Amino acid sequence: MELREKLKILSGAAKYDASCSSSGSNRKNTPGGIGNGASSGICHSWSDDGRCISLLKILFTNYCIYDCAYCINRVSNDLPRASFTPEEVIKLTINFYRRNYIEGLFLSSAVIKSPDYTMELLLKTVRKLREEYKFNGYIHLKAIPGADFSLIARAGRYADRMSVNIELPSKKSLSLLAPQKKMESILTPMKEIGLNIKENREERKKSKNLPRFVPAGQSTQLIIGASPETDYHILKLCEALYQRFNLKRVYYSAYIPVSNNPSLPQLRRPPLLREHRLYQADWLLRFYGFAADELLDRANPNFNPKLDPKANWALNHLHLFPLEVNRADYEMLLRVPGIGIKSARRIVSARRTGSIDFDDLEKFGTVLKRARYFITCKGKYYGGIPFREELIKERLVEGKTGLHRQQLSLFDDNSISDIDGFLSETVGGKEG
Amino acid sequence: MIYYIYDGSFEGLLTAIYEAFYHDVKPDMILKRSDYQENLFAERVEIVTERNKSDRVYNAVREKISSRSLRKIYYAFLSEIKGVETRIYHYLQLGFKIGRKIDGHLTDDTVLELNRISNKVGLERHRLLGLIRFRRLDNDIYYAPIEPDYNIIALLAPHFSKRLADQNWVIHDLKRKVAAVYNREEWVLTGFSGQPGSYAEDEAIYQSLWKDFFKNIAITNRKNSRLQLQFMPVRYWKHLIEKETT
Repeated sequence: MELREKLKILSGAAKYDASCSSSGSNRKNTPGGIGNGASSGICHSWSDDGRCISLLKILFTNYCIYDCAYCINRVSNDLPRASFTPEEVIKLTINFYRRNYIEGLFLSSAVIKSPDYTMELLLKTVRKLREEYKFNGYIHLKAIPGADFSLIARAGRYADRMSVNIELPSKKSLSLLAPQKKMESILTPMKEIGLNIKENREERKKSKNLPRFVPAGQSTQLIIGASPETDYHILKLCEALYQRFNLKRVYYSAYIPVSNNPSLPQLRRPPLLREHRLYQADWLLRFYGFAADELLDRANPNFNPKLDPKANWALNHLHLFPLEVNRADYEMLLRVPGIGIKSARRIVSARRTGSIDFDDLEKFGTVLKRARYFITCKGKYYGGIPFREELIKERLVEGKTGLHRQQLSLFDDNSISDIDGFLSETVGGKEG
Repeated sequence: MIYYIYDGSFEGLLTAIYEAFYHDVKPDMILKRSDYQENLFAERVEIVTERNKSDRVYNAVREKISSRSLRKIYYAFLSEIKGVETRIYHYLQLGFKIGRKIDGHLTDDTVLELNRISNKVGLERHRLLGLIRFRRLDNDIYYAPIEPDYNIIALLAPHFSKRLADQNWVIHDLKRKVAAVYNREEWVLTGFSGQPGSYAEDEAIYQSLWKDFFKNIAITNRKNSRLQLQFMPVRYWKHLIEKETT
């Protein structure tokens, strides 16, 4: 098969992976080598769906021994199949990189023959790329669940980021939709990779020359809307992953119907709004000091499609507002709807040189559309309406987003499983 | 009105600022020679660029204000926005008065405006680090044409001299007729209004592979042109392989 045909098949097969990040690694170029890392990450293009392209995102092969219902590459699906050779992947990567099309390679794969066999192919490719071709650009590599960990650990010395996708957020859904996969074989390598990253960081403090292990951290992906878990369940899982496995990112991917399997919902559109709300909440966990239990609970297990999670939280905690911007703690400023990290920092910095007026906020770029209802400047309230929940809520509700709303009520609120229990049960122990 | 007229170089601007601080006759405006138009009421002071004077200002900004401020005024200078030199002068007047605290003065119009301009230049630099496309020529030089809003070529070249260190490349600003030329050892900036030679044999292959990839990686059920445009404005499409019409 021609390279062009292979690339079409194996890039098309890789597109459902949401991760596009190329950040977190400042790998240096080597003498006679090609490429380096840019800590901030660099986007090289944006595809027609508006997602950033920074890496050559491909599968090594889409021949798969598994039959996961939610996955386009399942063995029972009738579609064109192809496999790259390591040399072909390298040739594409280097030639795209030299033309500045990409920041590096994102190499994933379906499981061909066996997890070990697949992982060996991935390892061989990245080893060759780094050692023989002296490629120092970004590499995001999938760890294949079920593969011998020594293969994964060796690959981690060449990769900048590694990921294992959980895909389905509960054991029950996994056994229903991906009966050949075990949650244990997904979580165990994640935990091991996490431990190795931590260890490597500690050791590198002592001896700088030690090679790095997955310096840009590890990530995972969850499919949203292919199975009945609530937002609360998903968010609790992610919180546990961040805290216990030291994950860098969790990606959420709205389920795109790829099958008529009766166990899967028949969606007219991917639940993009729900995905968006989860991303917003994920940000609140990672950068804004929120806990999952503050945002949702058993009684309200799903996000309001019309309100962003922070606005929702603020409306439920109106007794903490309005907040005087000249005195409030940085931590509380971060909790004001519409105020992000940049704005909060600017406020704290600007008020050192004098007290801040409402106009000043506008001047240095604070978005006040939502924030105005939750703050005072020098004691004055600029909301323009009485400080009452129902009135503020009316102003905050987002426009006609009804398009995706039906998907949020697709499933009944099934019982919340104990996430900590779920994780420790599958991988054992709490030390992770 | 008193006009300081300088040669258009950053060193020239810093010399003008040096003179402004030590001269009795303070400028109302600092202008590039090419931007100056004869004016009956104008009193012109011709600035002769002197390296030792510009170096002194350069070092003073870094030491007495901050290296961040130095970068800000350099980025702002590269914006080539009319009147930016006078804004830089006013910013430095304040900076030398209050030192590194100037970054906190977010409600001061001079500081705000300079931040805004330098951020725009910084944004375009960051965008182009990703959006530049090199084409391999038959003499094995990689050639990238650009037409940026701001004069950022000198901000791009250092990035590629580290990254694509083992290949010969040229970044060509078609608008300003200058090129950054790299020979695997160092890069230099030079005037250039020529045409690139013909493409290497494999160039067309990789261009079409890239276009295929670009098309195939999009999820059609998620099509979102508005988002795409927001990140990748149409004005940059002209030199993007994947957006060229075929």
